[in-house]
Amino acid sequence: MRDVYVAGIGITTFTRLEFALSEIASYASMMALKDAGVSEVDQVYVANMGAPRVNHQTALASAVVDSLSLTPAGAAAIENGPASGGSALKAGFQAVASGMEDVVLVAGVERMREVNNLEATDFVATLTHPIAEYIYGVTLPAHAAMFTRLYMDKYGVTERHLAMVGVKNQNAALNNEWAHLQQEITLEGILDSPEAMTNNPYVAEPLRFFDACPVSDGGAAVVLVSKEKALELGRPLIRLSGVGQATDTHAVHERVEPTDLLAVRKAAADAFEMAGLTPEDVDVAELHDAFTILEIAESEEVGFFPRGEGHLALERGDTALGGKIPINVGGGLKGRGHPVGATGVAQAWEIVTQLRGDGGARQVEDAKVGFTCNFGGFGNNVVCLTFVRED
Amino acid sequence: MNREIYAYKCKRCGTMHYPFRMVCKECKQNDFFEFDTVPLPKNGKLLTYTKVYNLPAQYEVATLGLGIVELENGMRMLGQIEIDNPKMGMPVKGNVEVVRREDYDDFYGMVFRDA
Repeated sequence: MRDVYVAGIGITTFTRLEFALSEIASYASMMALKDAGVSEVDQVYVANMGAPRVNHQTALASAVVDSLSLTPAGAAAIENGPASGGSALKAGFQAVASGMEDVVLVAGVERMREVNNLEATDFVATLTHPIAEYIYGVTLPAHAAMFTRLYMDKYGVTERHLAMVGVKNQNAALNNEWAHLQQEITLEGILDSPEAMTNNPYVAEPLRFFDACPVSDGGAAVVLVSKEKALELGRPLIRLSGVGQATDTHAVHERVEPTDLLAVRKAAADAFEMAGLTPEDVDVAELHDAFTILEIAESEEVGFFPRGEGHLALERGDTALGGKIPINVGGGLKGRGHPVGATGVAQAWEIVTQLRGDGGARQVEDAKVGFTCNFGGFGNNVVCLTFVRED
Repeated sequence: MNREIYAYKCKRCGTMHYPFRMVCKECKQNDFFEFDTVPLPKNGKLLTYTKVYNLPAQYEVATLGLGIVELENGMRMLGQIEIDNPKMGMPVKGNVEVVRREDYDDFYGMVFRDA
């Protein structure tokens, strides 16, 4: 297997965007291609979840590859729920590692503000089990809420811990000019003051408004290349060194231990094994905090902290910028936003930014090893990646 | 009318599944549709629950109760709950009712109430 490097990265602002879906993907892609210094690619993968349903567009990759005038390169869209981005990165990795391609563009994109909030919620809910979950009106916030209640009962996590994750990540987004939420929040405003219940109402008890990521439009892209090509292009050598993907039961109630996220555990372990790394080696991490509880649970399952102690690490400040293992320093999904298909690629974008030392006010000092966890379904399809800076 | 929701019992090894799956999770040896259908019990205890305020477009109600219930035989299922003050571990009793309406289609599922 050949080594695979990230030669270029690009992103759009995450917000409500009045551009066509393929234009959003193309904008981020153009940025990544210019960053890498390439104008021709062998293969394009476009990660997206909702184009056929939300944007009434199919075969998105064909539109993107042509918009970028990259024809006749191969192109395919990859739909894998909220893990579409990570899955497309895995496909890109496989294409280069196998020796079949030398330059692969991986773009992720979503335009879900095209429909109203209720329709967007319903669109994401279609990833649940059609008979055993979807027909009941289950949404992703509902799944996260039921998971949160079990987690609180078992490990002593409180609404304060959840709010602390929200405050940490949303305020981290203030250091990221591309992030969706640019509003500082405080524990007083969303939890402690008399106005907190008005500012921060429940969306699915015990989860409140500020426990959930916003609904965003946006795109992100990376260019993956062989080592030979990476050396030729002369960009900082950032190696995509570990890839892990794992699945779990479709219906959440079928899991033996409902507070376990076994797919996260397996995907992370596989990525670390491939890379020859351990969780202790990681300098900066992007976890999939679509809901605040997920950052806490994932920080345990990927191996940063013992089971049931993620919220204690949060209390100690271990997961903040300057802490032992800074998590979501660019805002995470909570602050940066969560255009579903783009998220896995946006996580890679943030890690590469960090490993290049381009993080500005949110830079993790001397970051050499980065990690991403892209969580699909409600934990039923997860992709974890490791990135290493080679000097 | 007494409606049922069915579990699927592998004819090879006897393992029960809900919802339906093509291949038995335990023995992985069954042939096509080699399952017996067995009605799920309706009594159980509430494992976890939520009250949802932000509902998909088809629901014309302000909030919706949802929960995961461990049934008498140890199997679990998700259902709607109509309970004023739900508590983890409380006994509940299910009934099969319409849980979603889309245009002219009615979808039936389990609704749990205080037992």
